[in-house]
Amino acid sequence: MNCTRRNFLIGGSTTLFLSGFFPKLSFASMQKKNLIIISLRGGMDGLTAVPVIGDKRLKKLRKKLILEDVLKLNSDFGLHPKLEIFHELWQNDKAAFVHATNIPYTGRSHFDGQNLMETGAHIPYKEKTGWLGRGLLASDIVGKGLAISLPMPLLLRGVPQNNNFFPSPDFVETKLIDQIYDEFKGDHNELIKSTLDTIRQRPLSMQIATDSDDRKKLALEAAKQLKDQSGPRVAVFELDGFDTHAAQGGVDGAHADELEEVNEIVKILYENLGQAFDNTLILTLTEFGRTIKQNGGYGTEHGYGSAILMAGGLLKKSQVYTDWPGLKKKELFEGRDLHSTIDSRAVYNSAMSMCFDKDPEFLRREVFWGDDLPNLTEELFKI
Amino acid sequence: MSLNFFRRVAFGLSPSDKKPDDPLPWALSQLNTVPDLLWPGSIPAEKELRKKYGEWVYGDREVLRKKFKNDKDEYKKAKDDLRLKTGERYFELNEHAIRHYQTKYSQQPVFERFWLFWGNHFAISEKDFLAEFSTGPYQREIIRPNMVKTFEEMVHSVTTSWCMIHHLDNSESVGPNSRRGLESRDTINENHARELLELHTVSPSAGYTQDDVIQLAYIMTGWGHKWSRKNLETGDVWFDQEKHQKGDKQVLGVKYKNDAKRELGKVIHDLATHPVCIEFVSTKLCRHFITDEPTVEMINPVIEAWNKSNGNLIEIHKAVIKQAFKYNDSTHKFHPPEIWLMQLSRMFDLNIPLSADRMNYNFKSRPTNRQRQLSWILREIGHSPYRAKQPNGWSDVEADWVSPELLLRRFWFASVELPRLVKSGNQSHDFIISCLKNNFDNYESMASLIHQFRFGTTEKDLGRKFGVICNLPGVLKV
Repeated sequence: MNCTRRNFLIGGSTTLFLSGFFPKLSFASMQKKNLIIISLRGGMDGLTAVPVIGDKRLKKLRKKLILEDVLKLNSDFGLHPKLEIFHELWQNDKAAFVHATNIPYTGRSHFDGQNLMETGAHIPYKEKTGWLGRGLLASDIVGKGLAISLPMPLLLRGVPQNNNFFPSPDFVETKLIDQIYDEFKGDHNELIKSTLDTIRQRPLSMQIATDSDDRKKLALEAAKQLKDQSGPRVAVFELDGFDTHAAQGGVDGAHADELEEVNEIVKILYENLGQAFDNTLILTLTEFGRTIKQNGGYGTEHGYGSAILMAGGLLKKSQVYTDWPGLKKKELFEGRDLHSTIDSRAVYNSAMSMCFDKDPEFLRREVFWGDDLPNLTEELFKI
Repeated sequence: MSLNFFRRVAFGLSPSDKKPDDPLPWALSQLNTVPDLLWPGSIPAEKELRKKYGEWVYGDREVLRKKFKNDKDEYKKAKDDLRLKTGERYFELNEHAIRHYQTKYSQQPVFERFWLFWGNHFAISEKDFLAEFSTGPYQREIIRPNMVKTFEEMVHSVTTSWCMIHHLDNSESVGPNSRRGLESRDTINENHARELLELHTVSPSAGYTQDDVIQLAYIMTGWGHKWSRKNLETGDVWFDQEKHQKGDKQVLGVKYKNDAKRELGKVIHDLATHPVCIEFVSTKLCRHFITDEPTVEMINPVIEAWNKSNGNLIEIHKAVIKQAFKYNDSTHKFHPPEIWLMQLSRMFDLNIPLSADRMNYNFKSRPTNRQRQLSWILREIGHSPYRAKQPNGWSDVEADWVSPELLLRRFWFASVELPRLVKSGNQSHDFIISCLKNNFDNYESMASLIHQFRFGTTEKDLGRKFGVICNLPGVLKV
């Protein structure tokens, strides 16, 4: 095992100095930067996605969940074979991973955990807005969020005029939209009026009915929108089904099916964003990882530490960024879960700082109540 | 008095409803009794459905997961079969039918609006298999009968119901100094205690602290399902002394002497009669029936009625209706998708829900598309009532219901799906105009908008008419 604990305080204090220069005015900041979040609901297993091949304990504890054809990242970590696009991007410094990370939530309830991964808070249900919505608002970026879901996800709430895209089962005639728009002209309802404006300004491709279960088409449309220099700057995808209590399997198990979906979305975004992919950052978000040990149903239970999968041209380099806690019993959280040594909110705060050209200190105060979140911008992203 | 009062406090008037001469007494007279559920099909008891829930989780967790641990495809197949056998795919559809049949035909529609309100105030959000088996019967058997009792009685029934206890994990809560806690080092789960304070009674305005939450959680320890190997977590709710935290407790400055299961009733009494609770819930009621940001003048008479009647819900409901009547012409309220759908269904006598005999289920094959239709529509318009994402239920403010896609879904429903739900005798232009006349003071200007399509009765023509009239400012809100 070559991974050693690194001291983040050192990295944190040197970057404090740098952060005083934000926002930097450079050519890069003139280009629109896209931040894409993929929510992985149910608890994504970081050790299935990015297995630690340098530690034999994992194999011992997961006899029935062993991956045969792990893609190699470095001497310590491998990659699930279904995440092939990440492997391809890794070769060009456009994929990276943060490992042994989680939001600061150690309960094991999906509902509390998912609430907290979106609000970024400490107490479930206390906050009614999402960290991404607050980050956009604090950065004065309004009307630039795109949710690939029907309700506006909690994650994006807190900033007005977001768009969302999740096509209805059938086409709505433009004429009808115009007629309703006309009828609202005399009305005092500004919210509905501005929403009708957003609808009318949508490109035709967004109005065409598609099967909302077809994630490929949704991702394709999202890519089109994000590519547009005047289009959205933030997009949120939703995936669920990571709660694999049984038949989790290895290369072809239930967890692999879900990872394949993540891979599919990233692949479509990569292939269709073209040059804009270089100005894009994709991050995953989950409520917790899963237990190290397999259970009686060859699945895993709700755990703690997980991983963040990252892709895009805004990454600094290909790396598994971690402060590896180890898998010895005494190194595990409550003797059963991979520990979290990096507050994942530090990654998200740094990502927003880089994509929105805002001082990370400022965002930390505005979005995360001044919580102690080290600035990882320099370590993780191109600045 | 404008006609929209009938939509403000109910679902509008159906073609067969007689227009009440005097709207206020009409509305007030509906609140004294609990109307029977009218659905002619099956209305299974909560206990019966909980048994099905048990068969489903036991079958999956204890049998199939072990049997097919190496084979995810076979596992999936066997699990699908079990879904059919236990009704896992069916009961929620039936519950939606029961609910929508009620709001369409009830002779006490104002009562039914309060039913929807309370079911959402004490929301069961999407968790485990509650929506599939338990949330519907909880609405029928826990919420409904308590609506003619006191708020305190309602809170007590809800708090000790199997559904809420499972929803908020109270069965997992163990007093650290209880016999069980000392043996196992298990401790409390604060979920239920926190929501009882925050959402169900006093709200954060009461200024409770984390310590209050912990103390309330201590009081609540022991209340949980009776676990057994066979029923797993679906056993009846009981009080397990072995999990109950010993010693005196203190919540919001009030001391509760060590008194085992009797502590809960005492603290609920204090919470449900707390002035901040009364203000919080009165405000929510006014928000639902009057406007998103009700004023103190609107809320105060409700608080007075609450205090005067010691929390009698009949009197509280009447006070709300009087205020809704008083402010009917000077305020606006945007209705969430499900209420909008219920109103369209009643005003235009739409063909939903499916007839009771066609809702019958064989527990062998997947429910038919027709059986799934209502639930599918609810999901597509973004308001599947028993699947709120969080324990605070569905939002009751306009801002949460106006996103581009959510509005488009309403346009879609009215212009594409609704025409398929128009009964064969109801396709004429005259029928539509008569429905508008029953419910809208400005029906003539509405009629002029669809005049150009007056001769058409195809689905497409109907879609053009309904697409517009269902989404006018005065229809999306009152």
